[in-house]
Amino acid sequence: MTTRGTASGITSGRVWKKPPFIANPWVRYGLIALTLTYLFWAFSTLPFDWERISEGLPRAAKIFGGAFPPSFERAELLWKGFKESFQIAFLATLLGVFLSIPIAVMAAKNVAPKPIYLLGRAIIIISRSFHPVIVAILFVAAVGFGPVAGILTLTLYSIGFVAKLLAEEIEEIDWGQVEAMRSVGAGYLKMLIYGVFPQIMPRQIGLSMYQLDSNLRASAVVGIVGAGGIGGTLMNAFGRYDYDFAFAILLMIIGIILISEGVSGWVRKKVW
Amino acid sequence: MLEISNLVKRYGHNEPVLKGLDLKVDGSSVVSIVGASGAGKSTLLRCINRLVEPTSGSIKLNGHELVNLRGSDLRHSRRRIGMVFQGFNLIDRLTVMENVLSGRLGYVSLFQALTRRFPQADIDRAFHLMERVGIAHYANKRADQLSGGERQRVAVVRALMQEPEILLADEPTASLDPKTSQQIMSLLQTLASEMSLPVLINIHNVTQARMYTDRIVGMRHGQMIFDGAPKDFNQDALDSIYGGIESPEEDAAEANGPAQEATA
Repeated sequence: MTTRGTASGITSGRVWKKPPFIANPWVRYGLIALTLTYLFWAFSTLPFDWERISEGLPRAAKIFGGAFPPSFERAELLWKGFKESFQIAFLATLLGVFLSIPIAVMAAKNVAPKPIYLLGRAIIIISRSFHPVIVAILFVAAVGFGPVAGILTLTLYSIGFVAKLLAEEIEEIDWGQVEAMRSVGAGYLKMLIYGVFPQIMPRQIGLSMYQLDSNLRASAVVGIVGAGGIGGTLMNAFGRYDYDFAFAILLMIIGIILISEGVSGWVRKKVW
Repeated sequence: MLEISNLVKRYGHNEPVLKGLDLKVDGSSVVSIVGASGAGKSTLLRCINRLVEPTSGSIKLNGHELVNLRGSDLRHSRRRIGMVFQGFNLIDRLTVMENVLSGRLGYVSLFQALTRRFPQADIDRAFHLMERVGIAHYANKRADQLSGGERQRVAVVRALMQEPEILLADEPTASLDPKTSQQIMSLLQTLASEMSLPVLINIHNVTQARMYTDRIVGMRHGQMIFDGAPKDFNQDALDSIYGGIESPEEDAAEANGPAQEATA
């Protein structure tokens, strides 16, 4: 009676706990202690001037107060800035995406020979290593104030992003289609056109849309350092204490981003 | 006429996949190559159109040596060798017609390939062949919208567009249901005799190999251990190729009795 079935073999009271993320308790508690100590040290040594912060608060309130209601009086200036920003973003996207296709092919291990692969990766790493604002400062110094600097900056920015993701997409294609194209006697370029590009096409379009979106946003930022577009207008508005105009610009930026986000989402859903 | 002599293929420093293989295929004969997975069937076919580089040996197609060809010479001889794959390997996102015309890529210029401006003769031939296998009404459909059997027909037409001197088929029916795979096999058989085209088919289904081909070549561990007419391909040959294990498709009724007794 006592030893019937397997249920009687169960001993109760054994505990189970999820194993800790860091197994060694010394390392685990040591890291926590170290983090807390650093935080304490960082806060105690940074020059927080509470007096200035409290003085600044009403000033911030004044700025925000001055921003209401947003002023669309200088619509012409607003429009001109946006037109330039859009042109910069659009041209940079076209140029960047166009250039990133060969670079992506170079940087894809499965279709490029080793030295070319390394060169392609190097180009991508270089164009990704700096934030667009830093690149914009360099280009403004090199080619002067204005939209050309903006276009060059965002082209480089687009290459870094689009070429990298496209190269990864090429590395993951179905190799059978490439094999089929080689077996009919197609050369390298025909193999790319038929065997590779159709496979990465939806990703390519999605990335281009995303990049246009991203370049629109970035074009506002690089304008601040003098690379043309709405960023410059925004900077001037702040400099002249025209907070209501600045707020109008910000609203427009948000609006444009929302629209471009919607459009790119719709396009990406259409191509698959 | 395809003449393979002393073909060796070794990947890295491993044991060779093909160990000095000799094979002669002439005229319009349909030859099936059977063998367990890893016997080297796929490697053999891929050595012929050089998707795989042979380590040594000689492969001659109508007198032309294929081993050691490079660059445009290699591409020109690949044009004369059609290939059909297990996974169809169609360009999924292109139309059926583009897939069919891609069989001409070795012949047209880069500009023609890019802009899809293929010569009128190619387009006529494409429609003719598509009508022959019953897929002409799909010309403008995307290749990935077709069923498996239809896709394999597109692949066969693509290979025929090359005006091949030989057709290689690497397990062309392995991804298809039994009924469709029979249709594809009989299509390959009739096309071979219509166009007097030699066809080499890698196949796992021994019953179909017997039914649709003129000659069976059995491979094991990179060597040819059977070569003869389907009627001579008996249980002994099957056992030596598959190591005594009944292949699942082969004569289930015959094999079932003793096998079930043994496992019971």
